[in-house]
Amino acid sequence: MLKFTNTFRDGVGFDTLLVGIALGYLVVFSAFPLAYNLLMSFQDVDLFSLTSFDRPFVGWDNYREILSRPELLPILWNTVKFVGISVIAQLSLGFAIAMFFQLDFPFNTWLRGLFLAGWIMPALVVGAVWSWVLAGDFGVLNHVLSELGLIRANIFWLSDPDVALYSIIFANIWLGVPFNMILLSVGLAGIPEDVYEAAEMDGATRIQRFFTITLPMMRAQLGAVISLGVIFTLQQFDLFAALTQGGPANSSNVFQYWSWQLAFQNYEIGLGSVISVLMIGFVIAVAFVYVRSTRYEQES
Amino acid sequence: MARKYGLLALAVVILSIYLFPVYWMYITALKTGTEIFANPPTFWPRDPQVQIVEVWTRLRMDVYLRNSLLIAGGVTLIVALLGTGCAYVLARIRNRWMDGVLFGVLMMQVLPSSLMITPIFVAFNQMGLLEYPRLSVVLAQAAKVMPLYIVLVRATFLQVPRELEEAALVDGNSRIGAFTSIIVPLARNGILVTSVLIFLQSFGEYVYSRSLISERALQPATVGLQSFMGPNSSDWAGVMTYSAIYVTPILIVFVLLQRQIVSGLTSGALK
Repeated sequence: MLKFTNTFRDGVGFDTLLVGIALGYLVVFSAFPLAYNLLMSFQDVDLFSLTSFDRPFVGWDNYREILSRPELLPILWNTVKFVGISVIAQLSLGFAIAMFFQLDFPFNTWLRGLFLAGWIMPALVVGAVWSWVLAGDFGVLNHVLSELGLIRANIFWLSDPDVALYSIIFANIWLGVPFNMILLSVGLAGIPEDVYEAAEMDGATRIQRFFTITLPMMRAQLGAVISLGVIFTLQQFDLFAALTQGGPANSSNVFQYWSWQLAFQNYEIGLGSVISVLMIGFVIAVAFVYVRSTRYEQES
Repeated sequence: MARKYGLLALAVVILSIYLFPVYWMYITALKTGTEIFANPPTFWPRDPQVQIVEVWTRLRMDVYLRNSLLIAGGVTLIVALLGTGCAYVLARIRNRWMDGVLFGVLMMQVLPSSLMITPIFVAFNQMGLLEYPRLSVVLAQAAKVMPLYIVLVRATFLQVPRELEEAALVDGNSRIGAFTSIIVPLARNGILVTSVLIFLQSFGEYVYSRSLISERALQPATVGLQSFMGPNSSDWAGVMTYSAIYVTPILIVFVLLQRQIVSGLTSGALK
């Protein structure tokens, strides 16, 4: 008995216990729902069978049903646009701002940190603020744009099906730029100054230095930031809830919001699970690449 | 020298453009109902009105914010209690098993709430947990943010010199003693900052609360805000005042801890 307690006080038992508690929690509240989700995607789950433990299995019916939905392709395309444009814009803006704040001037790191104020705010509040800025009739953005002579009539950013998705992308870029910028700053700060000096002495121009030194030396960071960007963009839900609820007519809907709508507004829970399973598979694949690349960098 | 101040001025301009929406929120909160819809809009309120008390009582903000605090506090407590030890072991021991655990933790970090909520809702419903909606949100959100906590705190533990721990063991401390009296105090700052970060994230949690809590009196401030922003709402002064009251404490904490939060984030995400 004494030996038993001792291993928990001093030996491997102590480590196993500490890891085991946290891991057990995660298995119950993350891994189990993950598996349950997969199971439900093959079941007929609606309001009546919700609490039943004995739900009918329907094979691939839910998957076939999702594939036959006319909104599938437009929403898929929206998701691709949402992720693609957000990630590219966040990355390039973040990179540009990071490089600017790398220059030597007073308060540069302090001012740079203030950008994260946008990131720390609850996304739903950010959505509320943007829906006021973007409001069609009295929104300040329309006013500024027409003062500058860029638009003649008010644009209905959130209710025009042609622009609603882009408005959300815009707000999402705003939300994501600071995080990208801060991570890239770390990478930039890690490039030794003398490499640049040597290149400058050899007569390399600013642009040459960017492409031959900065970009190659930032490869690991860029990989990490792009994968994190994809992951975080696919987590974005609050902005959709605050700005357009996926509308008008699904024109700004994306998979992660559609899955929730299917389950919680239409009560087609099995169908929601299908989308959820597919999306989680994709997110995990991206995360796999991210973890592999950052681990590898660290060990070498 | 002039170049430096030129750059500083440019930096301030860039930052101001970026933070304009935040400014606009505060300015709108100070405007009267008619001034909000003035054309052209005023960029400084003509007749500033502080509507904090009125909005606070009319929109029942005390109830919503208390729920948000309860949820965020519960999540932070669970995560800090369960996650700290795990982060420590993952920082100290490197073998095949621990690499596997770390990999699993990193994977669970990326699961989107909006996709996890469907199985969580059904499972919690079957287990009867939905009888306690706020507890359900706390449990689900803790699982969501615990991986991030473990990753960030692990990065802090990596910086605590192994020698100090070994010295404590030689002096006759047990592992538990060394852990609680030497290692955790040395990593105190990292643990605190990460806990603050987890608290702030959970303070603004939306998906789980929206889906698991149906009773209005138990909902947190995000869900409350959403319910006031119906498609035909024109009470923008109210919504912006609400938002301002909600985010001001968050922004204050952030500005005070800015340096620590930034360095904590970067060490965790890239290592």
